Amino acid sequence: MRLWKGLIKKPWPYLVGGIILAVLNIILFSVSGKPWRITTGFLYWGMGIIEKLGFDNTNWYYFSVYGNQLNEGETFFNNQYTILGLSVIAGALIAALLASEFKWKIIKNRRQLFFGLVGGLIMGYGSRLSFGCNIGSYFSAIPSFSLHGWVYGIFMFLGAWVGCKLLFKFLL
Amino acid sequence: MSQQRIDCMYEACPIPLLKALKKLKTMKVGEVLIMETDHSCSITNVVEWAKKQGHEVDYVEISDGEWEIYIEKKQ
Repeated sequence: MRLWKGLIKKPWPYLVGGIILAVLNIILFSVSGKPWRITTGFLYWGMGIIEKLGFDNTNWYYFSVYGNQLNEGETFFNNQYTILGLSVIAGALIAALLASEFKWKIIKNRRQLFFGLVGGLIMGYGSRLSFGCNIGSYFSAIPSFSLHGWVYGIFMFLGAWVGCKLLFKFLL
Repeated sequence: MSQQRIDCMYEACPIPLLKALKKLKTMKVGEVLIMETDHSCSITNVVEWAKKQGHEVDYVEISDGEWEIYIEKKQ
């Protein structure tokens, strides 16, 4: 009982989480042929909405290069990343409920909303230039022996460092 | 012994840690900083960081998914 409590209540060590994520990503890659990505799934959802509005965006150049195209038979809403994205949310919900840590979060103030939206836009744009976010372009890229994962890693740490400095000086 | 409080509710990494860092700089040795947070990562990274800095640190879950972290400035 005590072990179970510790397992669901206490945060797991980073090393344990890292190993589990690595094993799961390897299984995903071997089963589906594509490693885990997050923001690409968001892009597909956005594109799905634009497509529903009547734009012909499936022919865009972006979707013909660098593995950005959908698999045969997949749509912008019905694809592997939709399932993975929703599963992350479902899994996090289950973990939060098991630990009795579930809580509705609100927007604290206008400032948080404004900087959140600006940050989101910059991150979204940046993730397309860099072939993904820290999952698709770092966590999945480096084990795939892709050089861009290392370049991404270096600049992610630089960016986080500069971002923290700016945050500390001007926003807190 | 005097204490200071900072409100980190609804804020995500790295804001709680940076807020604590900034506040602790203005505090005297022996004073206690109380952080209110609902970000579960904070009870890992803020607590670990404060320990590494040599401060006395502890936390309590005050309600489901809400914590108070106590940091006594040691140096």
